[in-house]
Amino acid sequence: MQDLTPSVEAHFAGFGVDDDLVRAALAAATTHGADFAELFFQHSTSTSIGLSDRLINRVHTSVDLGVGVRVVIGDQVGYAYTEDLELNSVLRAAATASEIARGGGAPHPVSVLRRFPIPNLYPVSRSWGDVEIGERLPLVRAWEQRAFDLDARVRKVQVSLSDGTSQVYIARADGVRVGDVRPMTTAYLSVTVEDGDKKESGSYNVAGRTGMELYTPERQERLAKEAVHRAMQALDAGSPPAGEMPVVMAAGSSGILLHEAIGHGLEADFNRKGISIFADKMGQSIAHDTVTIVDDATIPGSRGALNVDDEGNATERTTLVQNGVLKGYLHDQISAKQYGVAPTGSGRRQSFRHPPLPRMRATYMEAGPHDPAAIIASVDRGIYCDSFSNGQVQIGGGDFAFFVRYGWMIEGGKLTRPVKDVNLIGNGPKVLAAIDMVGNDLEIDEGGWTCGKDGQGVAVSQGMPTVRVQKLSVGGGR
Amino acid sequence: MTLPQNALDLAAHVVARAKALGVDEISVGVSESTNTEISRREQRVEQASSSSTRRLGLSLLLDGRWSTHSTSDLREDALDVFLRRAVDATRWLEPDPDRALAPAELCGRGTSEAALDHYDRTWDTLSADDRADWAKRLEEAVLARKDDRFISASVDFSDGGGKHTQVTSNGFSDATEDAWFSFGGSVTLSDEGGRRPEGSSHYGARYLSDLPPVDRVAEEAHRRAHEAIGSGPIESGRYPMILANRVAGRILGTLAGPIDGGSIHHGRTCLGDRLNTAIGSEHLTLIDDPTIPRGLGSTPWDDDLMVARPRVVIEKGVLRMHYLSTYYARKLGRPVTTGSASNWVVSPGPRDPAELSRALPKAILVTGWLGGNANPVTGDFSYGIRGKLLEYGEPTKGLSEMNVTGNIATIFHQLAEVANDPWMWSSTRSPTMLFHDVQFSGT
Repeated sequence: MQDLTPSVEAHFAGFGVDDDLVRAALAAATTHGADFAELFFQHSTSTSIGLSDRLINRVHTSVDLGVGVRVVIGDQVGYAYTEDLELNSVLRAAATASEIARGGGAPHPVSVLRRFPIPNLYPVSRSWGDVEIGERLPLVRAWEQRAFDLDARVRKVQVSLSDGTSQVYIARADGVRVGDVRPMTTAYLSVTVEDGDKKESGSYNVAGRTGMELYTPERQERLAKEAVHRAMQALDAGSPPAGEMPVVMAAGSSGILLHEAIGHGLEADFNRKGISIFADKMGQSIAHDTVTIVDDATIPGSRGALNVDDEGNATERTTLVQNGVLKGYLHDQISAKQYGVAPTGSGRRQSFRHPPLPRMRATYMEAGPHDPAAIIASVDRGIYCDSFSNGQVQIGGGDFAFFVRYGWMIEGGKLTRPVKDVNLIGNGPKVLAAIDMVGNDLEIDEGGWTCGKDGQGVAVSQGMPTVRVQKLSVGGGR
Repeated sequence: MTLPQNALDLAAHVVARAKALGVDEISVGVSESTNTEISRREQRVEQASSSSTRRLGLSLLLDGRWSTHSTSDLREDALDVFLRRAVDATRWLEPDPDRALAPAELCGRGTSEAALDHYDRTWDTLSADDRADWAKRLEEAVLARKDDRFISASVDFSDGGGKHTQVTSNGFSDATEDAWFSFGGSVTLSDEGGRRPEGSSHYGARYLSDLPPVDRVAEEAHRRAHEAIGSGPIESGRYPMILANRVAGRILGTLAGPIDGGSIHHGRTCLGDRLNTAIGSEHLTLIDDPTIPRGLGSTPWDDDLMVARPRVVIEKGVLRMHYLSTYYARKLGRPVTTGSASNWVVSPGPRDPAELSRALPKAILVTGWLGGNANPVTGDFSYGIRGKLLEYGEPTKGLSEMNVTGNIATIFHQLAEVANDPWMWSSTRSPTMLFHDVQFSGT
């Protein structure tokens, strides 16, 4: 455990944010009454460098500074933000949020301050702000060279290395004061390959809420090797047949299935509004008893890791489905109050410009009893999916889709020929019930996934053991 | 000295300061905007927000090295540190001889602010009560239509406006103002098996008076939710596809990647060598027009600050243009066009959309998308769809859990007809389209 709050308070003191300002702003925010009010201060800096045409020829730096003010009365929310941390600007934003949420209740007294230690899930040897641009350049150059060295058919290589640090400070009307310092980095490498008149591209990325530590020799090798391997695989890949068939999801990034098929549907805001297909299924069996699904903010260094959520609540590992039975939702402050449960530390936002919502962190299925090879061998004719680009869900109907960038045909229990660029579509509850084999090889994917909801993108992780889905609709070519 | 408050003066100040730090060329933009949003559910306000923002962005050239930077911390000392760090970061790069500001003689305004007509002055005086009233009237219209299947409805009204100011070291200095309005609603109904299908309707416009009546939005949200009841897949196969006008942008948009200069330069395109060849049937004519009054994609200048003007992208099926910014035009050794799309306008045909399917024994009407993606290198695409099975023009089944598959380079050769109903509430103004012999996967 740690207490970052004093250092974060000292950081924002440099912008003139002191206890007097915070108390005055919270008083302004609660002028018209409030069940809950908070200030979310954020200062983020980021750097991205890029390589193309064999030149390290792009750099982008960004600074983002501001505070969001939220006032909650019942389930009504007033929200305002300002990028100017001068007292008068913050007071104006607070007054605006208060006026918007005006409920006529009694003003909420500012309580005795409550501070609590938080875990240290993303320690870094050096903050990204202390890493010179010049230290990043050899990495990028080496990744490019490695990609060219791996295969003579590689014609073009593009690389980007992005990183940054976000300092957040949350001050609530109920007295909670908590600060966090959140690093993040992503490396992306893509190649274009040519073989005769055939041309394809492949890419791979690694990401984490961490520092330069992410870039171990093994991970750097994987960055180049996987990008080239995928492009080469795609050169020979075709379209799978169209229609319903068994699907084997590879360990790792197949967690996108969970994210779309059930994760969003268990975000409590959709359920308290009654618009999720899972709204009336709590306590019911919704999957095979080998299926246990969790959403976990506590995986050190993962993109979904959070020491504290964006409402100032402690984070946790939340069990959503246990042995096939629906056990829990992902709660923010508002939904937790309505359901009469504790928040799960799932209140997240893209930045101070947005109010928090219940969101996933790192969603995965726990390992099961089956040998992955036996799962593949059990399929007579189907497809094996091992790389994905994007997905989407309709919360109420439960229909979801995810795009398979690379995969394989399974014929006679064997991987026979590569396939690519196919959309798979299904219905969440039906597909969950159709997962009948769960592998013993859980992997948390290392890629830079971003989840979108209500116009807000947040960093997430996902994971999966190898699983078999009895039937999914494959958007194949014939 | 304190920083200028006026955006034009602030941008000019940053240009001068950067030049003093040794920068050769610089382009500075200041964006200022105010946005408001209100949403309602269960006959009361669920969430409302209001905020103003000011952000500075710049791109700079130093000894042939190019970089971009942005900040919302506009305190004088912080801005100075930001500029110094931007310059220092740029020095680490390798020179790229193809980076340059666009030639001054090509830059400027193509259309006056008055002609673009993208700032509705009623936005200046729109009050909190006005916004609340719009949302309330829309919610009332939605709730007035609820039936036994009704579970929930939510509506929203949002608006915004602002000013973008741009100043460069080679003489460009101008500003443009715009406003926008958006509103819509979603309806959730009960269905068999615990399904809760949702239907929604949303519109956006430059002028408040251009938004459709609340009754139309409410009716569409309910109708789309009801159409999803009992929906499911049909047998995989090849069917004629009717692409509803408001969703045609997804398929048209798959063209954008392969005809972009960056994609062509990096070899990630299936249309890089197809200029002045037929990539579709004679029914497809596509114009990029940044000058449309009140157009959601209209702009006086492009990303390079060059004069924005209408261009023919596809003429009767023949590809007439690649999107080439100054940078990628130099990379490719070709004449510059423009770097990105503005309004895409598909020339309409003569008949009503209902006429397109009336003679067809079976056709699939696509009214929505779910996931999917396209590969710009091969042109292959695969998208999830929502829609209806039409038999001689009459809807006989709601469709879901289905995919449509094809290839960007060939799908438009299957375009048999376009209707006369261009969708006006988007920067992609496409009529309903009929494609023959399209692959769908279902059961």
